[in-house]
Amino acid sequence: MRKTLTVAWREFRHTAMTKAFLFGAIIMPILMMGLFIVVIPLMMESNNTPLQGKIAVVGSIDVIEEIKQQLTIGDTEIQEITAQLPEVITNDPIANAMLNNTSGKATDVEIVSAEGETVDALKQLVQAEELAGFIVVPESLLISTDSEERLEVFIPSSFSPNHTDILSSAAARAVVDIRLERLGHIPKKIRALTRRPRTFATRISDDGAEAEDNEVARKIIPMAFMMLLWIATFTSGNYLLTTTIEEKANKVMEVLLSAISPMQLLAGKILGQAGVSAVILGMYGSAAIAGLVAFAMMDLVPMMHLTLFGVYFIIAYFMIATIMAAVGSAVTELRDAQSLMGPIMLILIIPMALWPVLAEHPNGLIATITSFTPPLLPFVMILRVTASTEPVALWQIILSIVIGFASVVAMVWMCARIFRIGVLMQGKPPNVLQLVRWIRQG
Amino acid sequence: MNPAIELQSVCKSYGDNHAVKNLDLTIPTGSLCGFLGPNGAGKSTTIRMIMSIIHADSGSIDVLGTKALLAKDRIGYLPEERGIYRKMKVGAYIQYIANLKGLRGAPLKKQITDWLERIELPEVQHKKCEELSKGMQQKVQFLASIIHNPELIILDEPFTGLDPVNAKVIGKIIDELHHEGKTILFSTHVLPQAEQICNRIVMIDQGTKVLDGTIESIRDQFDPRTIEVEPVERSADFSKIQGVSNTTAIDKNGKVLLRLEEHAIPSDVLQAVVTTAPVLGAQLVKPTLDEIFIEQVAQRRGTQAAEKAREDLAHA
Repeated sequence: MRKTLTVAWREFRHTAMTKAFLFGAIIMPILMMGLFIVVIPLMMESNNTPLQGKIAVVGSIDVIEEIKQQLTIGDTEIQEITAQLPEVITNDPIANAMLNNTSGKATDVEIVSAEGETVDALKQLVQAEELAGFIVVPESLLISTDSEERLEVFIPSSFSPNHTDILSSAAARAVVDIRLERLGHIPKKIRALTRRPRTFATRISDDGAEAEDNEVARKIIPMAFMMLLWIATFTSGNYLLTTTIEEKANKVMEVLLSAISPMQLLAGKILGQAGVSAVILGMYGSAAIAGLVAFAMMDLVPMMHLTLFGVYFIIAYFMIATIMAAVGSAVTELRDAQSLMGPIMLILIIPMALWPVLAEHPNGLIATITSFTPPLLPFVMILRVTASTEPVALWQIILSIVIGFASVVAMVWMCARIFRIGVLMQGKPPNVLQLVRWIRQG
Repeated sequence: MNPAIELQSVCKSYGDNHAVKNLDLTIPTGSLCGFLGPNGAGKSTTIRMIMSIIHADSGSIDVLGTKALLAKDRIGYLPEERGIYRKMKVGAYIQYIANLKGLRGAPLKKQITDWLERIELPEVQHKKCEELSKGMQQKVQFLASIIHNPELIILDEPFTGLDPVNAKVIGKIIDELHHEGKTILFSTHVLPQAEQICNRIVMIDQGTKVLDGTIESIRDQFDPRTIEVEPVERSADFSKIQGVSNTTAIDKNGKVLLRLEEHAIPSDVLQAVVTTAPVLGAQLVKPTLDEIFIEQVAQRRGTQAAEKAREDLAHA
């Protein structure tokens, strides 16, 4: 066991304690976390400057008054909505920054009439920075929707896009409200009547349990879990493949086998890369959790999902690792490995390809069959169990875990037999039939 | 005393190729034994079986009084195909291999430093292996194979690729290890090299043992078939003597070797030599290992195979 651990430690150290790995697997997720936690709120904060200055309006008196009101209503309505939000959102740093951006006082402007002034004169005032901007509202627009005249907003080139939106939409809303008022309606009431209510979908399972439908929980979270599983297992699996090929190419394999058995070597390499995989999982997982916390969505990932993810990660890692170790031991060059990996990757890509179908029918026939089919099993099951919409039957979860671990044992056994023969082979890579023969002979 | 290595009726095949056939082999403890044979004779396969890197199809292998697999930590092995982690530092590489051989603890680092000095490679401990020359790498590999102070050392072609200076350093250490009582199995296809170093040899051809014993006993087994003559006058011609198949000048003083025909009687030829021309000396020369090997091949596989073996040895 001590020799196996010696190999494992070397494998881990020479993979995970390198500059390339530190950058790719550790610094990148840290940067991502930093982006979520620090940079985005800062960016939001910086975008939160209120619109200030003097805005001239070329138009009738009622239009000027309406634009003033619209700018005030805009602020008030947003504040009313944000006041009703739960604490979980208002306490969150990113959500809070976004709310500040919208709920803070968006405008601090003085609206003045520019009746009688020419557009050219007003343009000069904008250039001289005496006006923050001006709006031209032709009278014909307030009477007919067929008017060919345009509602125009003139602003300096440095004007922020956000402030342009505020001004443009306030002017447009003012025109609509004036039209309605001139026809004898009350615009505020009409707006309230036409506001669409929010829909709440509740899924009722066979046993009567109810769960609120959530698109994020249904689609993004399962995919994120599966991608995390992919990244963690395939990155370390790839390292296992390359280090095995490297040891063969450097002819160091025979030196190692003079000190330890092929099984000890294989076990050490797989264990070492399991550590690498755990580090990758930890880093990317932390980044994902930081993202969920930042967006106040941590409740979408219950502890049971994390536990099952841990179980399926073990199954997936050992399946991928044994495949990679077997391929690595059978070839002498990375180029040869690619030809053997082609068909294997085609199989392993199936869960990705099936994702839309699995997301739509998480308990359908395809989902059920692939849930018990190694090596697709862990990837499909993690998609299904984290989908949160239709709970996966307990027997299916248990059976998939049993099949998963049984498959791991079988794959380790086959890999060991290929590894034992393959590591000492040089030259032309074997074909699939030869690999089968090695398994029989090994 | 138990033999260091004992093989009984060992066979190993790769498909239709019988690499080792029914091999019986006993290497006494404390001997410095040459394991000889041309390329493809089955030496490396036999060594790999002794190291339990590959398994024999049949037969039994005992190493240091136990099963080969259980004796790994007591064996030092330098394979024919030299391997090294190119990106690893020299000290770390040797320490890793020593750890795998069960050697740990603080004294190991000092041991590595001392040994690096002994093989004339001080100051390389913290260098990456890839920064060393090929000869230096080979010495590091040799050191990695003996750092754990093994009882049995198996060296597969240890001098291949080494310059004469480095070969001398390694040769000296092999000699010292032998005098410390280690058993050394030294595999090579360069027969004169083994003749110089070893006190015992085992020779195999096509997976079968053809010779086994001390060098003296083997030489005694074979009739001398060459006469070395130092004539007074360089112009002396001995090629016409009955029983002489050919003559070869071996130095500028006119010394010649007379190769005897198969059925020639050496004493008769010697007598004819001294009557043909005045000589300063004439003596029967014991056969070299090359000659013995070629003769063995000729007996077992015919003259054509023997000629092929002669060419292979000449190219070695």
